[in-house]
Amino acid sequence: MTLHDLFPKMFHRRLVLLLAVGLGVGFTLAAQLTHLTVLKADTYRANAESRLSDRDFLPTYRGSILDRNGTPLALDEECYDIAVSYVVISGSWALKEAGYAARDAAGPRWGELGPEERVERISEHLPEYEAQVDQMWREIRTSGGLTEQELTQRLDDITTFVERTTDAVQTRWREEYYRKHGYPRPGETDTFDPHEVREQKDSYVILPRVSEDVAFYFKRRAEELPGLSVQDSWRRVYPWSTATVAIDLSSLPRELRGEGEQIIRIEGAADHMIGDVRERLYQEDLESRPFFKSDGSIDLKGYRIGDSIGRRGLERVFEDHLRGSRGMINARLDTGEEARTPRAPGEVLYLTIDIRLQARVQALLSPQLGLARVQQWQAGWTREGEPNKPKLPLGTPLFGSAVVLDIDTGEILAMVSTPTIAEGSRMSDAMRSTVAPFVNRPIETPYPPGSIIKPLVLAGATAEGVHDVQEGIVCTGHFFEDRGSARCWIYRDAYNFATHSPESTPVDAESAIAKSCNIYFYTLADKLGMARLVKWYRRFGLGRIPDVGLIQTTTNEDGDLIHFGETAGDLPTEAHIARLRRDGRLRFATVIAGIGQGPITWSPLQAANAYATLARGGIFRRPELTQNDSRGDVSESRTDLKLKPHVVSRILEGLRRSVEEPSGTGHHITYGGAGGDTEPIINAEGVTVWAKTGTAQAPAYAIDDDGDDEADRAITGLDHAWFVGLVGDGEAGQARPRFAIAVVLEYGGSGGRTAGPIANQIIRALKAEGYL
Amino acid sequence: MSSGVAATATQDAGVTRRALRARAITPQHVVLLNPAWICVAGALLLSILGVIMIGTTEPGLAKRQLVFMLIGLLAGGMVALPHYERSRRFAYPLLLLVTMLLVFLLIPGVPEFLVRPRNGARRWINLGSSSLQLQPSELAKIAFVIALAAYLRYRENYRRLLGLLVPFVLTFIPMGLILVEPDLGTAMLFLPTLFAMLVAAGARLKHLVLIAALGLGSAPLMYPLLQNHQKDRIQAVFSQWTGDVSRADDIAFQGDRALTLIGAGGLAGVGREHARDLIVHNALPEEHNDMIFAVICNRWGLLGGLMTLGLYLMFCIGGILTAGLCREPFGRLIAVGIVALLFAQMTINIGMTVGLTPITGMTLPFVSYGGSSLVANWLMAGLLLNIALRRPRMMTRDAFEFTEPEER
Repeated sequence: MTLHDLFPKMFHRRLVLLLAVGLGVGFTLAAQLTHLTVLKADTYRANAESRLSDRDFLPTYRGSILDRNGTPLALDEECYDIAVSYVVISGSWALKEAGYAARDAAGPRWGELGPEERVERISEHLPEYEAQVDQMWREIRTSGGLTEQELTQRLDDITTFVERTTDAVQTRWREEYYRKHGYPRPGETDTFDPHEVREQKDSYVILPRVSEDVAFYFKRRAEELPGLSVQDSWRRVYPWSTATVAIDLSSLPRELRGEGEQIIRIEGAADHMIGDVRERLYQEDLESRPFFKSDGSIDLKGYRIGDSIGRRGLERVFEDHLRGSRGMINARLDTGEEARTPRAPGEVLYLTIDIRLQARVQALLSPQLGLARVQQWQAGWTREGEPNKPKLPLGTPLFGSAVVLDIDTGEILAMVSTPTIAEGSRMSDAMRSTVAPFVNRPIETPYPPGSIIKPLVLAGATAEGVHDVQEGIVCTGHFFEDRGSARCWIYRDAYNFATHSPESTPVDAESAIAKSCNIYFYTLADKLGMARLVKWYRRFGLGRIPDVGLIQTTTNEDGDLIHFGETAGDLPTEAHIARLRRDGRLRFATVIAGIGQGPITWSPLQAANAYATLARGGIFRRPELTQNDSRGDVSESRTDLKLKPHVVSRILEGLRRSVEEPSGTGHHITYGGAGGDTEPIINAEGVTVWAKTGTAQAPAYAIDDDGDDEADRAITGLDHAWFVGLVGDGEAGQARPRFAIAVVLEYGGSGGRTAGPIANQIIRALKAEGYL
Repeated sequence: MSSGVAATATQDAGVTRRALRARAITPQHVVLLNPAWICVAGALLLSILGVIMIGTTEPGLAKRQLVFMLIGLLAGGMVALPHYERSRRFAYPLLLLVTMLLVFLLIPGVPEFLVRPRNGARRWINLGSSSLQLQPSELAKIAFVIALAAYLRYRENYRRLLGLLVPFVLTFIPMGLILVEPDLGTAMLFLPTLFAMLVAAGARLKHLVLIAALGLGSAPLMYPLLQNHQKDRIQAVFSQWTGDVSRADDIAFQGDRALTLIGAGGLAGVGREHARDLIVHNALPEEHNDMIFAVICNRWGLLGGLMTLGLYLMFCIGGILTAGLCREPFGRLIAVGIVALLFAQMTINIGMTVGLTPITGMTLPFVSYGGSSLVANWLMAGLLLNIALRRPRMMTRDAFEFTEPEER
C-alpha cells in the first residue's frame, strides 16, 4: 500500500509531508537534548555547580630574614599602592569609551556610517573621557606631591616598559607562528594577528607605598577615576641595603691615621648572602609549583602571576621556607556558608651573621676608607729608601673578602664580599666585567692559598709520622740544586740571598711558621708525598663544598644542572697526580704544593674554617650560616683529625710569634728603607692573635677596558694578599682562640702589609661589638 | 482584533452580512467534537508550564503571566466565535495596516514616547504605559498568514515558477520591514511559514526545492551584510559546535550558560529550589523569556524537555488534523500557516537554546513570559479552533488537488 492509496487526496499527502518534516526537526531537537542531558550531564553539572561557590584568596607575606640578634635583614612591609590600568595610561580606555558613546548615540545607524564619519563621531566624544583621565592625574599628582614632569616621566617609563615587553613577546609569538604556519612570501598578506600581551592589561603602580590617608582617599574616589585601584601590598624591604659605619681613625696605618672617626656609607650589606626577590615570575616558576594545578585543585603555596620569588642568595635557596601560603575563603553562594583556610605567612630564617659586625667589616673593606686601596706601605721601599713602584697604580681600589667564624660553634659571624651587588649594579660595564661584583667571593671564589696553608702541612706531616716536630730543618734558600726554582721567599736579590738559617742553625717548627720558611715546608711536603699531602688538605676541608646553605642550581644552555653559590676549591686529582708522575714533574709539584702553590685553591671560608679546626685541636666541623637548619645534626659533621696536642700548640705558638715577634711575617710594616720607622700590624689591646700571612701568586689580572665582557689586557706577576688568623681575649698564655678571621685582597700584594691592617681592624670591630 | 473585524462587519449592510451572521454560532453548523481541542489542550498545558517555569526565578512575573494567560484564553475564545471566513475580506486591508505600523516604527522622526528603541531595536509602539506596548510584528505574523491564505485559496498560478512571485513578494514586505527593526528572529519565521503553506497549497515541490536550494546556497553571501553582534552569534554557535570554550565568557556566554544548565538538569532535573540557585548564579540571561527552555530542562531534566516537545507535537498534530478535516481552502491554509508559524518559532527557540542554531531574540510560544506574545499565540489557537468548529459548506470543490506525476 502506497502513500497515495492511504491518502488519496494530494492535500493530505502534502500534510503528511509537512508532518514528516516537522517530526524530523523535532527528533533532531530531542536528540541534541538527550545528548546534553545524558552524555554531557556530568561535565555541565560540574560547571553549573562550580558557579555556586565563590573563592576568594587572602594575600600572604614572606618570612623575614633575621641576623643572630633578631635584627631584620629582609622583611615584608605592609603598604598600599595606587595603581592605574595600562589601558588608561595608554589612552585606549578613553578611545574605547568614546567609541561606545558614539555608537550609543548613533543607534542602529552606526552600521551605515563610513570609517571617516565614525572617527569623527568618536572624536566628538573623546574630550569628555580624556577630561576624566586628566582629572585623575591631577589628583594623583596632588596626593603624591609629584610635579607634572615627574608624573610624565613615570608614565613614560611604564609605557616604554610595556611597549618593549609587548614587542618582545609578540615578536616571539610571530616567530612561533611563522615556524608553524610558514613565513609569508613577498606580496602575501601577513596572517599573524597578535593578541594582547598581559602587560597591556595590567595595572601599574603610580604612587607606591602611600600613607593610609592617601589610600583611603583614593579608595573613596576609585569609582570615579578610570582604571584606578588601591592595592594592599607587601613589599620586600632590606633595611641594611644602606648603612653608615663610624671607623675610629686612630689605629689605622699612619698614612691613614687621624683624629676621631670617619663615617663610611656602605651599600648592600650582606646582599650576596641574603640575595633578593624577583617581582616577575617566569613560566618555569609558574610551572614549578602552579597555584591552580592541572587536576583543578589549588595549591595555596603555589605561584600565580604577580607573586614574587627568591632570585639570589638565601632568598632563593630558602624560598620554600620563606614563602607564605595564601588563605582561601570558599563561599557557597546559595547557602551563604563560608569555609576559610587561614593564610600561613612564610617562616622566619635566622642567620648566624651579626649584621652590625658585618657592616663594620664591609666598611673596613671599602675603598672609601683606604685600607683596600693600593698604598705605598704595601709596596714598601728599597733598602736605600726609594719607594718601590707598585704593580697597580697607587690608589687603585682593591676588592676581596673577609670571613669571621666563631671557633666553638662554627657559626659565621660575618662574611663580606666586595664590591657588593648593590655597588656592582651601579658600576660601568667595563668595571663590572673586570671585578665580577656579583660573585660572593668569601665562599664562591677559589683562591690559591699560598703560605697560609703551611700550618696544615706541619699538622699532616707530624700526624703521618714523616716528620718529628722537635726536629729542625736548615733553610738553604733553595730546595733543589737548581737555585732558580723552589727557593725560600727570603733567598733573593732584594734580601741579599739571605736564608732563615744564617749559621746553618736548623729552623724549628715555630720559626718556620712565624717566618714562613719555604724550605721547611718544601721538605715536609717532599717527605709526605703528594697523595698524603692532598689527603690532609682534604681533611681540613679543601676540595669540599662547605654547604652552609648557599648552594644554588641552574641549568645551562645544554640543559645540564649546574651548582653555584659555594665552591669546593681545587685539589690535584689522582689522574692529575698520575700525569705529573708520568711527566716526571711530581716531586716539584709536591714540593711547591707544600707552600700552597700549584693546582690548589680554596675559599676564604674554607681557610678560616681550617684555622678554626686547628684552634679546636683538630676537630673539623661544618661552618654554619643559618640557624633553622634542616640539614641534620651539626654534631654529625664533626670529625676529629687526631692531631697531636703538642703539635697543635707548637703550630699556634708559631702563629702567635708571626704577629708578636719582630721577625714574624705578620709583625710590622716598615716605612722607608732599612732602619725606617716600623709599626706593628696588629695593634689591638688586650687580645692575643695567632695568624699567618700569605702572598699567593695570583692568576693574571684580566682587565676589560671597554665593557664588552672580553679581557683587553692582563697584568701578570701580581699576588693575592692573605691574612688568616685566630683571636682570643687576654694576654698570651691565658688566651684561648675564639674567633677565626680570614682576609683576602685580590691582587693586593703582601699578605702582611695589605690584608694585615684590615684583619687588625676586624679584631677591633669584634671588640667594638662586644665579642672580645 | 476580532472586535475590529466584527465592528467593520456590522457596517456592511446586505444579505451577505445577515447570511454570515446566521451561520455564526448556530449549533447545527458547529462541530464541537473536533481535533482543534487537541491544540487547545496542548496550548493550555504549555501556558501552564510557562507560568510554572517563570515562577522558578520570578514568582511575581508568574502571577502576571497567569493574568496574561486568562486574557489570552478570552481573546482566543472571542476569535473562535465569528466565522473565520469573515476575516478574508479584511485580509489585505489588515496586511496593509500592519505594514503601515511596521513602517511607522522605522520613521526616523517619530517621538520617543511613541517608539522607544530598546537595545537599538525599534519594535514597540507605546500605548500609554510601559506595560501596554504593541509589537506590530506579532500582528504581522497573523495578518500575513490570513493574507497569504486569501491569496492562494482559489489560484493555481503558483504551480508555475513565475506564479510564486506574488506570494514571495507578499512575504518579503513584512519580513523585510521586521528585519530592519531589527528583529531577525521574527523575520526568520516568515519563510518556513510561506514554504509550508505553498507545500500544502500544492505548489510544485521541485520549484520549492530549487528556491530553497538557491536561498540556502546564497546565505553565506549574506554574511557580510549582517551586523557585528549577529556575526558574533554565528561565530559563537560555531565555537560551541567545535567544543571551543575560549569564547564561553564573551560572545558565547548566553549559549554556553543555556547548554550548561540544560546539561546540569540531567535526566529528571534538579527541582525548583536548586534550579533557581543554579540559574541565578550561572547568570543565565533572559531566563524567563527567550531562555525558558533551559529552565525547563534544568528543573525537570530531559523528561521535562521531551514533555515540552511532546506538547508542541500535540499542538501540531491537532493543527494538521484540523487542516486535513477542513474542506475549505482558506481555512486549510490558515491552519497550516498557524501550525508552521508556531512550529518554526518553537524550533528556532529550542534550537538556539540547545546550541544548534545561533542565538536570536525569539520567545518560546505559549511558554515564554510576555503579554503580547502569549495573547498573539492564543489568538492563533482561537483561529484554529474557529476553523475546526465550522461544518463545511455544501458547495466546495476539493481545493489543491493537482495531478503531480512526481509525487508517485
